[in-house]
Amino acid sequence: MTSVNRSGFPAAIGVFAIAATALATGALASDNKIALIPGGPHPYFAPWEQAAADAQKDFDIAAVDFKVPAEWKLNLQTELLESLAAQGYSAFGIFPGDSVGINSTVTELQSAGLPSAALAGCAQDPTDMAFCLGTDVYNSAYIGTKELIKAMGGKGNIVHLAGLLVDPNTTLRVKAVETAVEETNGEVTLLQTVADTDAQEAADQKISALLAAQKDEIGGMIATGYIPSVVASKLLRTLGDKRIKFIGIDDDQIVLKAIEDGFVAGTMAQNPYGQGYIGAYALDLLASGDCTMKEDAPWIETPQTARFIDSGTMVINLDNIASYKDDLKAITADIQGKFKDTYMTCS
Amino acid sequence: MSETTGPASPVRNRRPFLGGASGQVGLLAIVAIFWFIFSTLAPGFLSSFNLYALGRSLAVDIVIGFSQMVVLATGGMNLAVGSIGVCAVMAAGFLLQDLGLPISVGFAGALLLGGALGWLNGFAIVKTGVNAFIITLASASLFLGAMLILTKAVPYNGLPPEIGAFGRARLFGIVSPLLIIAIAIGAALVVLYRFTALGRQILAAGANPRAAAMSGVPVDRVIVISHVLSGMLAAAAGLMVVTRLGAAMPATGGEEWLLPSFLGPVLGGTLLSGGSVAVIGTMIGAALVTTIRSGLLVLQIGNFWLQLFLGLILLFAVLVDRYRSVYAERRSVGVKS
Amino acid sequence: MPFLRRLLIVEWSGLAVAIVLGSVLLAVLTPNFMTEYNIYVMLRSFCVGLLVGFAQMVTLGVGQMNISVGAIGGLVAISFGGMMEALGVPLVLAVPLAIAIGALCGLINGVLTARTGINGFIITLATASAFTGINLGITEAIPFYNMPAALVAFGDERFFAFPYLLIAPIIVTALLMLFFARTVPGRQLLAVGGNPHAADLSGISRERTIVLAHVLSGGLAAIAAVLAVAQLGSAQPSIGADWLLLSFAAPIIGGAALTGGYVSVVGTTLAVILIALIENGMVLANVDPYWVQFLLGALILAAVWLNRWRAVKTGTD
Repeated sequence: MTSVNRSGFPAAIGVFAIAATALATGALASDNKIALIPGGPHPYFAPWEQAAADAQKDFDIAAVDFKVPAEWKLNLQTELLESLAAQGYSAFGIFPGDSVGINSTVTELQSAGLPSAALAGCAQDPTDMAFCLGTDVYNSAYIGTKELIKAMGGKGNIVHLAGLLVDPNTTLRVKAVETAVEETNGEVTLLQTVADTDAQEAADQKISALLAAQKDEIGGMIATGYIPSVVASKLLRTLGDKRIKFIGIDDDQIVLKAIEDGFVAGTMAQNPYGQGYIGAYALDLLASGDCTMKEDAPWIETPQTARFIDSGTMVINLDNIASYKDDLKAITADIQGKFKDTYMTCS
Repeated sequence: MSETTGPASPVRNRRPFLGGASGQVGLLAIVAIFWFIFSTLAPGFLSSFNLYALGRSLAVDIVIGFSQMVVLATGGMNLAVGSIGVCAVMAAGFLLQDLGLPISVGFAGALLLGGALGWLNGFAIVKTGVNAFIITLASASLFLGAMLILTKAVPYNGLPPEIGAFGRARLFGIVSPLLIIAIAIGAALVVLYRFTALGRQILAAGANPRAAAMSGVPVDRVIVISHVLSGMLAAAAGLMVVTRLGAAMPATGGEEWLLPSFLGPVLGGTLLSGGSVAVIGTMIGAALVTTIRSGLLVLQIGNFWLQLFLGLILLFAVLVDRYRSVYAERRSVGVKS
Repeated sequence: MPFLRRLLIVEWSGLAVAIVLGSVLLAVLTPNFMTEYNIYVMLRSFCVGLLVGFAQMVTLGVGQMNISVGAIGGLVAISFGGMMEALGVPLVLAVPLAIAIGALCGLINGVLTARTGINGFIITLATASAFTGINLGITEAIPFYNMPAALVAFGDERFFAFPYLLIAPIIVTALLMLFFARTVPGRQLLAVGGNPHAADLSGISRERTIVLAHVLSGGLAAIAAVLAVAQLGSAQPSIGADWLLLSFAAPIIGGAALTGGYVSVVGTTLAVILIALIENGMVLANVDPYWVQFLLGALILAAVWLNRWRAVKTGTD
């Protein structure tokens, strides 16, 4: 993983020169300690480790650490945050373990003078997160469904493989898929929504049963969670079925391989590396106290928050599977280069 | 299970009263040693911020443990603590945000709902004679399912601000009011089991239901009451989370509470087979786990390896506790002879 | 009706009736239920669950419990995948090694509980945390992807409706029935669980029996993990994370006593089939996702009630 990121980087070096000059003129070597904290152990966040190391070096920050809660539980995440605050960390990039439940902790950190930002996924407004840099879950599910409908030629029956029902994000995704289907005025029908597919084995069981029940009626499937994407890609390959169109999410190897071999139409890419890298950069500026977020920046308003920045949502399919990583790097460099001027007021 | 069940249940080597108390002192000593070690190695451990946060998460764990403990006392168990907890959480959200009721009414309603769900468990167990494990396993799914159907899993995040303020409040700079509440509940439970007829009846029914019935204890009623109590305690734990988060969210509780609910009571010396409770032990047991977890976080040990160290240290702690008590027993035997 | 009556006395007959009723209902309601492919899907989906149930059943039999079944499963799954992908160990060697790792975890559990006399709940809860910690420490939550083609094929392929994956559980089930019904250690295991003092008096080593039960439990969890890897086609660190409740539910719904001394291999099997049937049926019947949890609870309750009603009627309570 390390070597992949490093070897790809020279391509973007030119843009980072901008950052370097900004460093030369602006605040030098900050003594901030920044932590990047996912919701729990999960392969999606693996690039954050490299992003943290790169950000620490590129922006000359005292420390940028990737800290993982022991399990995927909100209370373990908040305990970790509180503990890091007690140890003198000065800013936090957080993937909210729960988009509502995280807010009270963020408020407490804020009142202790420690800024936080939501990375990868947003917290629900009202929130004290400085901004949300990530994927708009609603929009991503909506675009994914649109893409699926396009791949199906504009009509047919689809099913939605959704994540944990108790996660507020799942509710948003269900609505997004329903909206995209409604907009076809009856050309496309949503046959079924299968939820709680966030564990490998449960997903395997449920998606297999779904295919057994209606594989002949199904024209397309959309998964809005990491695990159902992986499992459905694998099952479609086993079934050898290239008729059913499938749009997944994230770039797990299994999904990418299935795209290359034609079993999966595409997947919604996110930009985990960029989220971690830019997040650390912005948090460093905030923690130094020199910068504050602009009220009138070109924020995107989403169903979750009024301070959203898109970290790059794109569809990976056969056309761009070889180049999407470079595309994401270019997006990362672009957002990072403009971030300070666009979203911040600095003294 | 077979037709030949019936011979007197095997003699249980129940800890004598004093043994139980000395066991708790031993566990407390171990917790104290960990505090000493962690605060020496990592000064951040004793910072007011960390102590406050530690106390607050401990408070919730203690009440979750109590909610299991009161049912363990009758020799049963309640796998639905997490589901009852989240039902109470969402009920509180509904009453406060949608109906706009005053906080006291909303919280009372949530506690009542918890008690009612506990009553359903107890009633079903007593009436059908099916064991508590299966009934509460099924009801955990039923309660959680009903919550999902009714709320569509939409969280309530427009609760009155006083609730969040209470969850963030600090007494003397380091103590969360939640911890005081947990300790107060503990005190009430001590009174219940030590000094009331009902408490003694519960323990008698748990130790040997047949003998208790013969000596006039209304065993069924006692079991139902324990489940009602368990439901209310689960609801109380849920409400503590609501004040902590300032919001009512559907991902509270559930299966996540299952292991913590057993861990505190069992570490503290409550028997899974019934007939004994260790109220203070449950509190110390919960404190042991919270301390280790917090200490490891402050020491920055692990990251991905953290769970390994957590498991090893917990294992080490219970082994030390065990050998200490075996040693103490031998000595007291030696004195007698 | 002596035959029917005799059948009803068998303690798992209520479960069997529930399964038959449910199958008939589903066959009528959804045309796709009885298709060859769906039967394959169901049979395949219950393989792992059955072994998970057995892994807990053997510890329940001796009057213990094993909170670490899932953690052992996860650790074995990634060791199994890791040794093949990273170390290039061939499949035929990796399978026995994986089972040995599971048995070793069980041995640790068993020795710690039997030697110290500490409640097995606490010991296995602590070791569960330790095993999971090793799993996450090694993988950092990233799966091993490249499994041998033969293993993946074993997890996917079928002979008409019969998945090859099912071979393993069938063999294990037969061996376990033999073990409990016909072998000395099997009977000793239940004797210790039923009445430890009587077992002591008759000269059975309680320590050895408890250790044996935990080793078996670890080994069974390891087989479950190997099957899960074959089924999923990759060694996921999250394997085993949601085994805990099922592991208890299956044997206990199947008639095992939580206090030990009594287990039912057939009952456990039927309970796992019932749960797999309910979960499959809910997807087939296109149940609103918000109702799935509720119905799952209601159906389990109904099946248990049916069994209870049978027991009361036939006086075998």
